[in-house]
Amino acid sequence: MSMIEIERINTYYGDSHVLFDVSMVVREREVVALLGRNGAGKSTTLKTLAGVLHPRSGTIRFEGEPIELLPSHKIARLGLQLVPEERRIFGGLTVEENLDLAALSAPAPLPLAEIFAIFPRLRERRGSYGRSLSGGEQQMLTIARALIRRPRLILLDEPFEGLAVIIVQNLLEVCRQLVAQGQTIVIVEQNVRAALSLASRAYVLNNGHVVFEGTSEALQASPDVMNRYLGV
Amino acid sequence: MDGSNGRRLKRWLPELSMAIALVILPFVFDTWLGSVDLFTRILIWGIFGLGFDLLFGRTGLLSFGQGAFYGTGGFVTAYLLTSGRMDNVWLALAAGVAAAALFSVFVGLLALRRVGIYFAMITLAFGELSFFLENSPLSRWTGGENGLPGVPAPSIQIGGLDYSFAGSWPSYQLIAGFYFIGFVFARFVVLSPVGSVLTAIQQNPQRTAALGHDVAAYKLTVFVLAAIFAGCGGALLGIFQSYMPPDAFGLDTSGQLVIQTVIGGAGTLIGPAVGAAIWLTLRDLLQQVPAIGDLWKFILGLVFVLLVTFMPNGVVGNIIRVWLRFGFRPAVATGTDRPGDVTAREALLAPLPTAIAPSLPPRLALDVRDISKAYGGIQAVDRVSLALPEGRLHAIIGPNGAGKSTFLRLLACEETPDSGEILLHGIDVAAADVTAAYQYGLAKSYQINQLFPQLTMRQNLRIGALGRHRGRLRLDIFRPADGFAKVEDVVAALLEELGLTECADLVVSTLPYGEKRRLELGLALASQPSVLLLDEPLAGLSAVEREGVKQLIRNLRKGRTIILVEHDMDAVFELAERITVLHEGRKLAEGTPNEISGDPLVKQAYLGGMTVP
Amino acid sequence: MPTLPQFLSQAFNGIALGSLLALVASGLSIILGTLGVLNFAHGAMFMLGAYTAFVVLGHWDSFAIALALGALVLVLVGFATERGLIRFYYSRPKEDQILVTFGLGIMMVEAVRYVFGSLSQPVPLPSWGQGIVNLGFFIFPLYRVEVIGIVAVLLFTFYQLLYRTRIGLVVRAGIEDPLMVELLGTHVRRVFMVVFTIGAMAAGIAGVIYAPLAAVIPNMGEPFLVQCFVVVVIGGLGSFPGAVVGGIVVGEILSLTTLFDPAYSQAAIYAVMALVLIVRPRGLFGTMGRA
Repeated sequence: MSMIEIERINTYYGDSHVLFDVSMVVREREVVALLGRNGAGKSTTLKTLAGVLHPRSGTIRFEGEPIELLPSHKIARLGLQLVPEERRIFGGLTVEENLDLAALSAPAPLPLAEIFAIFPRLRERRGSYGRSLSGGEQQMLTIARALIRRPRLILLDEPFEGLAVIIVQNLLEVCRQLVAQGQTIVIVEQNVRAALSLASRAYVLNNGHVVFEGTSEALQASPDVMNRYLGV
Repeated sequence: MDGSNGRRLKRWLPELSMAIALVILPFVFDTWLGSVDLFTRILIWGIFGLGFDLLFGRTGLLSFGQGAFYGTGGFVTAYLLTSGRMDNVWLALAAGVAAAALFSVFVGLLALRRVGIYFAMITLAFGELSFFLENSPLSRWTGGENGLPGVPAPSIQIGGLDYSFAGSWPSYQLIAGFYFIGFVFARFVVLSPVGSVLTAIQQNPQRTAALGHDVAAYKLTVFVLAAIFAGCGGALLGIFQSYMPPDAFGLDTSGQLVIQTVIGGAGTLIGPAVGAAIWLTLRDLLQQVPAIGDLWKFILGLVFVLLVTFMPNGVVGNIIRVWLRFGFRPAVATGTDRPGDVTAREALLAPLPTAIAPSLPPRLALDVRDISKAYGGIQAVDRVSLALPEGRLHAIIGPNGAGKSTFLRLLACEETPDSGEILLHGIDVAAADVTAAYQYGLAKSYQINQLFPQLTMRQNLRIGALGRHRGRLRLDIFRPADGFAKVEDVVAALLEELGLTECADLVVSTLPYGEKRRLELGLALASQPSVLLLDEPLAGLSAVEREGVKQLIRNLRKGRTIILVEHDMDAVFELAERITVLHEGRKLAEGTPNEISGDPLVKQAYLGGMTVP
Repeated sequence: MPTLPQFLSQAFNGIALGSLLALVASGLSIILGTLGVLNFAHGAMFMLGAYTAFVVLGHWDSFAIALALGALVLVLVGFATERGLIRFYYSRPKEDQILVTFGLGIMMVEAVRYVFGSLSQPVPLPSWGQGIVNLGFFIFPLYRVEVIGIVAVLLFTFYQLLYRTRIGLVVRAGIEDPLMVELLGTHVRRVFMVVFTIGAMAAGIAGVIYAPLAAVIPNMGEPFLVQCFVVVVIGGLGSFPGAVVGGIVVGEILSLTTLFDPAYSQAAIYAVMALVLIVRPRGLFGTMGRA
């Protein structure tokens, strides 16, 4: 069964039409990449899924249930977890408090020990305030906040942006482990190679329209699609 | 009804009606209540409220401390007269008003640094401060808790006529006279370009500044104006009662002003007077009902809360809304009809010469030299240079986080670079603010529409055009907002150019996104800039609308230098002469569209970052 | 020149007064930081606490009951206000929120005036609060020492609530980034009710404590409201430590300036507020944004 079925959604920012009849399917245990230049509507799609925005038309089904009109906290509780682009760490809370907050509304949160096993660096920094963390540490924390809730589906919005190569490698490794454990992921990334190294399928957006849908191999074998919509 | 006589009548109808009302109504009060004094009091609150309505109703600044200026005007006047330092009541009145104005400059410079909640708190605190000062340290002059009794009334001596304004009816004549003059003056302000700018500030202060208006100066101006009205009201109160009461400064006074204005209707000029009439009449009435008695203020408080919740436009405000809904539209300047002559339009909209003529005509319209900007530890823009001759259409592209938005913000003078220079026709504007940039002929169109939603298309564009033509600050209160023929011509030409003439006099919030996007461009064009910065002009548009805007951009090139930031690569390659690619804050490549699309470095930056994990 | 005992005495008074201010201001600041609402009725809530003390102490001799009932009354008032009125205003402009709480404050004051009249109501010191503490070199009233103690306990409880409980965690996170809190599955609005109620309760308890020290009149909340605004400006919007430090600072300024010229002590706090606005507009502990 599909975990997510998006059918012809149209999202607006105010009255700016940003997504035009976008449709997507994500199956359980899949990793799907959502690609395109910025301004194409990738983040908007994730935000619509997470309930930050609501589509004016179209439907979104999460494990069979329609969620397009639900508020974001309810969607999070259903097990759909967005890891936002700006990371949005609570600077005035410690690392541990950030994680505690995330675990609050989860019925069976992952124990802290397991989180720290995935991200040992966070154990070292558990008492530090969010605002004192480096970019890489913040990204680890924001992913950890999602993981602690044991989500059915994780939406990663540009997780590797602005990070050093070593850290990106580290995070990619974490993601590969999650994939191996069967975590369903949708990843939005401008770093096409990194995204395709994780994902089995990909959608490409351009100016709010879906212009490609297929396996990662198929995409990589179409240099004209890559150049036209992802390059320059 | 477009004849000029018809329009003149519509312009002066409110003043005419007010004059008639001021002649007739006192007799109504006299007959009904036996005295005209209540109406006189209402008008004193009305004078106080005219200024407050300009401040709050028109500019959106909610001050809880106007009592400070009311009291200052009142006590300075009363003190001068009762202490014998001045004999001439008119002079003392002027002195009181001047004192209030001076005090308000001081308070305004501090309070206006903040908006909204902070502004309310600060004005409240200053109101209380004055109350306290009046009560204690200055009580030698103010009479402390007792106030100042014995304030005389003014008189006029002209020719053989010696008329004293003492007594019930003469007091009314005096105060009604002042109210009328104040009303006429306030109407001038509202209908002037100053009034338009104040309304714009209420709806979108950042864009108002970006359209060349010195927002801080306008705010201070209206704050001082409000204080002048307040000081006048206070002085007249003392004269009317022959006694200046200590509670003029208090929160009760400032609060009552706010309540009355909201009840009557903020933004209507007569709202405060109507609100005062309602408050004072109900107060007298309710107190006489045995069951209510001392609960009158509680009931009025309840009425106020209900009004704010369900009828926030107040009594007059709602009457006006009903009036408009039934089709009585106020006189709208529809502007002169223009023939659709393209060359004439182009001439009208051609870039204006920059105000400061450099000694040598420089080759470059925009010369950006090594500008950098860092936030925290992150270098958002790293020594980027750009050299644009006049007439160039140049695009800036780059992957997410490349620094495009920051770069554009630096060019638009929204922020100051840490180092480097930005030379606009030879003038360094790196340290200029957005207002100055607009005046120099550098304008930006925003990615997210920054419009004045409650104004019409025409009014929106007028704010922009007025900015360039009038400069940062001009207090041309006695000029009508549409009184600059050149401005009106430019606005009409813009509407034609943008294809918006049909909806010119419709309120922007009711219009669809495509029209709004074109207005957004129009606002930048209204300054007749020589350098135009376009931030994702095609954002959110349908395919058809994109074509229209692309054509518009092509048309705009004549004599103008344009910088375009866009994600729609097809559009970029169609429009741009040259392209700069930014990556991680640095310039990665620059060249013609062909050169860029063939550049392997650029491809790598877009597809996989510079380093592949 | 004031003598050392005079100085110490006033400095001590400043702490007593400042701690009360800190308590009232923390309530105001947390409401402002979390809900974004400037509660103009806060002074009236303080006043309601004082009048509850008057009523209770007229029947029972227990200050503890006065405190408990004062807290209870304000919990009810706070709850009713937030659920019945404030929550409809969250998406309305700030000016409307100010206006409606201002009107509410007037209603509360007038209702009390109707029932109790305008004359000052005497509230006796509790039996354990009478007397003085004599340290030889200076003397101060026992009750004020106890006030500092009680408020310290309350502020400490407040602190625990904010920093050691789940609700406190949500509040602190919600002040920073309410959207992210929602994305992590917690409905922030539900917390608003608790925050407003606790803020009202803090004001009410402060009123109970203050009642024996000064005239209990319907308008007594007004000077406190204005001083609270000064505290919030100095300490920083939405900051609990800012409210505490700001409260003490304002209390000290008010008390110490009376040594030199009592007439100007009020003016002094406004001067400091003006200074803060010029030099550091966000206050001691505040963050930019939010007006």
